[in-house]
Amino acid sequence: MELPEFRATLDRWLDEHAADLAPDRSLGTLDEHMAQLAKVKRLAYDAGFMRFGWPERVGGLGGSPLLRAYLGEALTARDLVEPGIYSMTETLAPTMIDHASPALAAAMVPRLLSGDETWCQGFSEPGTGSNLAALACRAVEDGDGWRVTGQKVWTSLAQYAQRCVLLVRTGPLDVAHRGITALFVDMESPGIAVRPIETMHGAPEFCEVFFDDVAVPAGRMLGHEGQGWSVAMDLLPYERSTALWHKAAYLQRRLGDLVEAVADHALDPVQVGETVQLLAAFRARSRATAHRLAAGERLGPETSVDKVLVARAEQAVFDLVEAGLASDVLLEEDAAASRWRSEYLFSRAATIYGGTEEIQRNIIARRLLDLGDDR
Amino acid sequence: MMEPAERALFARTLGAATEERSGAALDAALLELGWRDALTDDPRAAVSVLFEHLGRTASTSTALDDVLADALGAGVGADVAMVYPALGRAEPPADEDGGRLVVKGLGTARLLRAGTALVVARGPGGDVGTTVKTAGLRVRPVLGMDPGLELAEVAGTATSASPPSSLRPGAWSEAVSRGRLAVGHQLVGASAAMLELARRHALDRVQFGRTIAAFQAVRHRLADTLVAIESARALLDEAWDDSRAETAAMAKAVSGGAARAAARHCQQVLAGIGFTTEHPLHRYVRRVLVLDELLGSSRSLTAELGRDVLARRRLPSPIPL
Repeated sequence: MELPEFRATLDRWLDEHAADLAPDRSLGTLDEHMAQLAKVKRLAYDAGFMRFGWPERVGGLGGSPLLRAYLGEALTARDLVEPGIYSMTETLAPTMIDHASPALAAAMVPRLLSGDETWCQGFSEPGTGSNLAALACRAVEDGDGWRVTGQKVWTSLAQYAQRCVLLVRTGPLDVAHRGITALFVDMESPGIAVRPIETMHGAPEFCEVFFDDVAVPAGRMLGHEGQGWSVAMDLLPYERSTALWHKAAYLQRRLGDLVEAVADHALDPVQVGETVQLLAAFRARSRATAHRLAAGERLGPETSVDKVLVARAEQAVFDLVEAGLASDVLLEEDAAASRWRSEYLFSRAATIYGGTEEIQRNIIARRLLDLGDDR
Repeated sequence: MMEPAERALFARTLGAATEERSGAALDAALLELGWRDALTDDPRAAVSVLFEHLGRTASTSTALDDVLADALGAGVGADVAMVYPALGRAEPPADEDGGRLVVKGLGTARLLRAGTALVVARGPGGDVGTTVKTAGLRVRPVLGMDPGLELAEVAGTATSASPPSSLRPGAWSEAVSRGRLAVGHQLVGASAAMLELARRHALDRVQFGRTIAAFQAVRHRLADTLVAIESARALLDEAWDDSRAETAAMAKAVSGGAARAAARHCQQVLAGIGFTTEHPLHRYVRRVLVLDELLGSSRSLTAELGRDVLARRRLPSPIPL
């Protein structure tokens, strides 16, 4: 199916099923957001929409990734899903398709697409935030498999997840990224403990995950031993194309909500203009990136530009929210005010998670401007 | 529409022409290379290629007159000299009543040479387009911040050479939008040239025993410059896909903002040498300041956008995926 037909069919379906898709109650807690996400994915999967843009060998219906980009955009623009928690699908399904054994990918990906399962991504560690290649969570070979011991942190949605795409060290530390392997781990395995982190925005979506001699079968390796770094790097273009396009739709919606809700003369027109321009520039960039992905281009370090832009746009939008709706953000307790407050606070992390703005600028300097090493 | 191979050839020949020539000699070369045919045949390719090169080389041309004349349907066969709005403005540069025009605006070097100029004016019944003799107007060559740009300032009262013709509503706005995209590409070209100068310097200049490109403070300024340039490029591309005036206005504003950021960052990285006239940076710094103000500045367009959004309580609707 081509995008225009998909768009028209999906829009019609969303209109016709608006009541079924709407949240059962107002969305406040992360539990409620997760239940809503699972419901929407299930309905969209059964209707076929969630399967477009994915290959047939993992239960998809084929077609361009632009179809996935539009699906997430439409769901986000109608405020049916929160794009941050939805993005795990966009990020982790391609990783499985590209790097898991065909049988494992065929068995697992449909569970993620249908909303039956939640997956998480175990990358960061207490000692390795920006310097991911120094990770220390260790896997040792044990008969026909691995045993994993160590700790991850900032693992989104780990408390809900049935599976984890996990980066572990299988080689010596001094070979940095060459000693890393990627595993697909069942979160119900004995020896895994999950502790949600209380964060300032109030939704405990990040976790610490502890691995104590956890058994992982050999067939759960993604790619080859020692190739985990390239598995992780292959995931980034997905994290920074379709998923960022969904974020653009979300920011567009919330900025639109703000200009509808704000009192007369509460906002500085220049700040409004600058924010609208920042968001438009990010959206234009992300649109071009989505089309490059759909054309089969290999995305690379240039997606760091998209990442810098999304973070700046998000912070600008919520700076404006804080300026225009100060009493909601700072004082009030009703659902709308609590949501603005939580979103404002979460936006402060936009230049931190997924590779800090400083790391993105280092990548731009080294890889796009060819400025050589900084050491 | 140009085929990809044709477009690449066009880009190469125009690139070479803008590097070797400037001013009247460049305009003559552009005519010979078929710039005006390209403009009517494939405006997107022609405008984006020529103006990005003009920006990169800091060469001077009167080709912007062709862009606006073509958009106004005035035909590009003749050497039409356009009158532009005064600095920072975008409304028609004249008021008309009964064939009498009060003109205040800017022009390219063509205005200094030509005997007549094409003026769009606000008349009692809407916008009109007309040709006026330049002899009766005060036309002054502009030196100022960027003498190399060869602008002219024009003011005075003139009588229409022929009865003014009514323009359809929106015609002036479309011409301004086309001009904004052209100047936007020129700003992006100039920004890219400044970035390349600063990048080269950062890789050559050694302090404290290493090239200054190794210092994160320098790297991050240059990275931010590239991010700004890529933002402007993305919006310019989107504005060509989209015909709405507000998208072109955003693209111009963001291009101007990017060029100002590029000038600030690159001047800082180039430091002492970039402050001298021995180094080419100053030509770009001067040029982007003037180009940013032409057909609406980043500052004025941004404020206007914000006021519009607040008045309508609605964002500009973006073009679909």
